[in-house]
Amino acid sequence: MTLTTRPPRPPATEAPDSSPALGQTDPHQRPARAGLTERFATLLAPVTGRDLGPLARRRRRTGWVAFIALAGPNIALLLMFVYRPLLQSLYLSTLQWNLGSSVARFVGLGNYVEWFTAPSTRQVLTTTGIFTVATVGGALVLGLGLALLLNRPLPGRDIARTVAFAPYVLSGLAVGILWLFIFDPRYGLLSVVLGWFSVASPQWYTDPPWPLVMIVVVYLWKNLGYVTLIYLAGMQAIPQDLRDAAALDGASPARTLRSIVLPLLAPTTFFLLVTMILSSLQSFDIIQGMTKGGPVGSTTTLMYQIYQEGFVNGRAGYASAGATVLFLLLLAVTGLQMRFVERKVHYA
Amino acid sequence: MRTPRMFRSTRTVTAARRPKRTGLLLGGAVAGLAALALSACAGPAVGAASTPKASASSIDWSAVTPATSITFWSNHPGKSQDTEQAVIDAFTAKTGIAVNLVTAGASYDEVAQRFQAASQTKDVPDVVIASDVWWFRYHLNNQIIPVDDILKAVGSDTSDYVPALYGDYEYDGQHWAVPFARSTPLFYYNKDMWAAAGLPDKGPSSWAQLADWSSKLKGQVPSNGAAMGLSTGPSWGAWWLENFVWGQGGQYSDKFDLAPLTNDATVAGVQQLKDLVSSGTIAISKDSVADFTAGAVASTIGSTGSLAGVLKSAKFSVGTAYLPDGPKGSGTPTGGTGVAIAAASDKPHQLAAAMFVDFLTNTANTATFSQATGYMPVRTSAVESDTMKAVYAKTPQFRTAVDQLADKARSQDDVRVFVPGADAILNSALEQVLLQNADPKAALQQITPQLQTAYNENVEPYL
Repeated sequence: MTLTTRPPRPPATEAPDSSPALGQTDPHQRPARAGLTERFATLLAPVTGRDLGPLARRRRRTGWVAFIALAGPNIALLLMFVYRPLLQSLYLSTLQWNLGSSVARFVGLGNYVEWFTAPSTRQVLTTTGIFTVATVGGALVLGLGLALLLNRPLPGRDIARTVAFAPYVLSGLAVGILWLFIFDPRYGLLSVVLGWFSVASPQWYTDPPWPLVMIVVVYLWKNLGYVTLIYLAGMQAIPQDLRDAAALDGASPARTLRSIVLPLLAPTTFFLLVTMILSSLQSFDIIQGMTKGGPVGSTTTLMYQIYQEGFVNGRAGYASAGATVLFLLLLAVTGLQMRFVERKVHYA
Repeated sequence: MRTPRMFRSTRTVTAARRPKRTGLLLGGAVAGLAALALSACAGPAVGAASTPKASASSIDWSAVTPATSITFWSNHPGKSQDTEQAVIDAFTAKTGIAVNLVTAGASYDEVAQRFQAASQTKDVPDVVIASDVWWFRYHLNNQIIPVDDILKAVGSDTSDYVPALYGDYEYDGQHWAVPFARSTPLFYYNKDMWAAAGLPDKGPSSWAQLADWSSKLKGQVPSNGAAMGLSTGPSWGAWWLENFVWGQGGQYSDKFDLAPLTNDATVAGVQQLKDLVSSGTIAISKDSVADFTAGAVASTIGSTGSLAGVLKSAKFSVGTAYLPDGPKGSGTPTGGTGVAIAAASDKPHQLAAAMFVDFLTNTANTATFSQATGYMPVRTSAVESDTMKAVYAKTPQFRTAVDQLADKARSQDDVRVFVPGADAILNSALEQVLLQNADPKAALQQITPQLQTAYNENVEPYL
């Protein structure tokens, strides 16, 4: 059983382009700043006219039919499986409810008060912060490096790309359990390798902060391929003429990277930043497979705490309060990114 | 078998929010919540002061005709699916009642989580696995019925159950489950190392003796090894720690009263363990049983249920012994799982379930199950049965486990098994002491309010 929730993986077509006209033809190019709303607005635009002629009325009807037919199923699914559970969870967070019980008590904001005053909260938030920064930052830096490498005409490049991406499609739980064998301080492969350099293996399982380091390493290993793939796609969309122009001007490869490649990859980076943060904050499977949040809670992220309180301890109301906090956190992080980061990354 | 609702909805969330940024933002943020939206169809009734408890006394079971088909949710403890199915086939042949065996999870916790999540639906089993830390929560949630009367009605001799094991399920003068796959911690030692160290072929009678033997055993293990290995972790650490605590005359709780948790005796139990670790007699690792079978430590504590696996993977001769005593007491905590009858089933299904539960744990079948899995025979009459004698002849180590059950078994302290989350909280105190060098008394004091809150919030209002 995994509770993994992954960010979506749209086709990597975030091709930055200097031509605005071209840029607007591709719906993925500008990751739909106002996607849905804007399109509805266009669709429904005629209805806002005050005195409607027969033509406008017909257009309005057609607009609604098209809207219901095209967006209806999607909206229904969202309402059913996203917003209804969201509201239910908000409601549950005001209850003291033992999971499975037929009765519950209303406690108002009691669960929130308890969560914010609990001694474990600071540790959970710190762990979540470290884990998120380390996994997102690490994945972006390493993924970019790997993508730069695999973007060069090397022999066996296609095989290397496949190999790099492969871990991403594996089950997180299985990956976690396999890596446990590698990390084992007594018999693990890693302790053997460290032994070659006369380094004693850290106590990966029992000596904080090493368990968190271990989780981060495995998470990076698993998700690096995804970041690399998206970056590769972004690089291949960089027009060759810009590179050529830079070469003509005598730019060194480092300068080309700094002044051409990285800026034009900014939308890709932004997309990855958003999705990786969401994914990282919600990651569950590797922790469940490797440490179950321990020892001494040192690998308990907010998401894992919600699982533990909800399904292990059966405190559905308290867990829902934690889930609300996570929801607001994700909303805030994403909102900030949209507000302040997105506008700086587009050249088109 | 249908996927529990919450998991289904999570998956749909992921699919539904693929194309759009708006969907990405909200959908991604919501997904964590959606996973938690537990009962999509019906929530709990709010405001009820206490749960009306099932009272079986008024039911005349002789007037009920058993159903012809029931459902049993199991995790097949000890890889016992084939054994369970064989028992079921025999039961169907004898009574004509079909039993649908459902794999409801890979562990006790998974079965319990699914059972709790399903409680708001019609999709509940008639018989369900009920482990030591879960059956009481089923009872608090009013999900299971007491078994005393209904077992009497089907002619089951409950006095033949091993008293310590059946007594585990007693609350309020009634029993809420019957023992099925039951285990205790057991002391395992490496006989070859013991002999090479010049030690007698038996386990240490006390923890102090193990400390004395440590220097001799050090010569037998690798440089990073120890005389004994132990592991902490949820569902494990606070279980065997009971032995240290009881050995000093302490306990986690007296019923639900937490005063004993921080008294001198309990603190002394944890302190003794800490001293053994800091002196190097005991090493803490991720999986001490694996370390033991690999020869990295000379002894360990493992579940009796691990015996078959240890014997299979160890390349040396394995000895088993009682858990060592402390200066002021002894005891091995019981554990493992029982089976319970669901309250949501109707009377005919409950009666058929009781017949099945009795059959599953009768003298012949508990012996067969024990033989196949290494769990304890749960009936006194089975302990000396021919089946078990054959087991003892083949693996004499198992005899120790069964004898220990008779001589040393003790029901766990209430707080660990009855209060949701208490096991994990107790384990965190243990880990603070062993891994972060915390003072035992301070660590136990620190968790007391957490345990008290868990009790006040999640148990007391529903008693």
